[in-house]
Amino acid sequence: MSSAKITTKNSKIIARISLTFFVLVNFIWLVLPFLMAGLWSLVDPKQPWSYPDILPPSLSLERWQMVWENTSLPEAMFNSYTIAPTVSLITISLSIPTAYAFGRMEFRGKKIAELLTLIPLVIPGMIIALFFSRMLLDLNISNPFVGIVIGHVVLTLPYAIRILSAGFSSVPQDLIEASRDLGASKFTVFKDVYMPMLKPSFLASIIFCLVKSIEEFAISFVIGSPDFITVPTILYSFLGYSFIRPNAAVVSIILLVPNIILMMIIEKLLKGNYLSQSTGKA
Amino acid sequence: MKGIKKDLKAWLLLCSGLGTILFLMGSTFYIVVTQSLGLYNISGEDSRFTLQYWHDVLTNSVFQSSYIYSVKVSLLGAILSIIVSYPIAMWLRNELPAKVTIITILRAPMLVPGLVAAFLFVNMISYHGILNETMVFLGIWHEPKTLQNDEFGWGVVILQMWKNIPFALILIGGAVNSLKTDLLDAAANLGSTSWQRFRYVIFPLTLTAVQVSFILIFIGALGDFAFYSIAGPRSTYSLARLMQMSAYEFEEWNQSAVMAMMIMLTSAFFTILVSIIIKPLAVKRGDIK
Repeated sequence: MSSAKITTKNSKIIARISLTFFVLVNFIWLVLPFLMAGLWSLVDPKQPWSYPDILPPSLSLERWQMVWENTSLPEAMFNSYTIAPTVSLITISLSIPTAYAFGRMEFRGKKIAELLTLIPLVIPGMIIALFFSRMLLDLNISNPFVGIVIGHVVLTLPYAIRILSAGFSSVPQDLIEASRDLGASKFTVFKDVYMPMLKPSFLASIIFCLVKSIEEFAISFVIGSPDFITVPTILYSFLGYSFIRPNAAVVSIILLVPNIILMMIIEKLLKGNYLSQSTGKA
Repeated sequence: MKGIKKDLKAWLLLCSGLGTILFLMGSTFYIVVTQSLGLYNISGEDSRFTLQYWHDVLTNSVFQSSYIYSVKVSLLGAILSIIVSYPIAMWLRNELPAKVTIITILRAPMLVPGLVAAFLFVNMISYHGILNETMVFLGIWHEPKTLQNDEFGWGVVILQMWKNIPFALILIGGAVNSLKTDLLDAAANLGSTSWQRFRYVIFPLTLTAVQVSFILIFIGALGDFAFYSIAGPRSTYSLARLMQMSAYEFEEWNQSAVMAMMIMLTSAFFTILVSIIIKPLAVKRGDIK
């Protein structure tokens, strides 16, 4: 039964004012920056947008075509989109046994082990990238693809382990015992009991790994540079060395839009505070 | 005996995931420590224990200014993100139309990679950015101003806030939501003002969330590379940038390792400091005022 709601005299007006304030602030804080990036990517190369024009003089998709044809973007996208699935596959395979232990077993040292899985999240990316690249040298791993994949796997493991262990722990023990009582083998239990209930967690971890790998910058930059480029490193080259704003706008959108769509799918799959749960920050 | 067998089985299962993390992170950490002490040199120099690299880095004025800058910007970013999160979290306790949509909008910056966030921000404040255009249009400024790469690092602080407020909001919002309405109603009935309710009820009961948010935002900001490289000051380096530059551009890997150690030690120091400061605040003694 819900308790009676205590409302003040002006609560409706206050709610309306606060909502208007929220919309206004978020327009400036969030919508406007994205709109500006969109506009910059559509500026016609023949008629540059410069001060004091408030809006671009003419819009076209030419810039998108130019970036695609004249920069290494296709190569960067190919690299990013081959690294990410490889990383997902390896990360998920490595995570399953660990996540099962965390989700379904009680053992000594469990709390410490859970904390230790978060190490890659609290060490700054550039430290990992720099000294990890040294270690790769020691191990004689000179292929940037392999190096970046290993680096991304370490970074995505904590997320996958967290999401999957939450999935494993949510499978009701009754169901497992019932199917065992009915004579199901271990494999059948896994296939018919665990798998259907684990599907959302699996999908969410795969997407999380894809997103994290595609947007990861430090490791790709240190291990890959100068020859092996990914989407974030090409974006950095447009932002850092020489500031080419329209090109940066195009690459930003390419990096951002798939990420947002994929994260929305995770939000749907895991319903709620996946971010705090999956990173153990709650 | 059965217990030991079960423990062993669990730890064996941990080998794949946790084992990989510990192996790779452990060896990376080992390289940082040994390199900072001169016990590891890949460039062919003699490997021997020395504190010379520590001395070189700690007495270097470029490092000192970059250290002060990084700590300052990270502290400000973390504290301001938390301060802004509180009123939003309190506001979200109310019944609002389209609350789920509001929460989704508020979380959006978390999904934006650091480099893109920096680009979006630079677009807003650059010479030909919307802020300059608006100010000139409104007649407040006569001509556009150079706001990018400001000396203090406010640009980076704003970026840290942009990216971290949603994260702080998840933690602090969760803590604020779990507070019982009865408690706040009782305080209101006893005649407390909104500020007193915040100070004596809400804040002490949500301190754990503050602690965790502060530590994680601070650590993230202290190791920042992307925000600094694009929006940071031109005269001072961030620790991560200086570390990367020492290693890759000057080939001074030992000094770079010392900087990595300083980033990690500073993170650990602030983690302990915040825990020590927050502990007595969460315990209330004496009569209720």
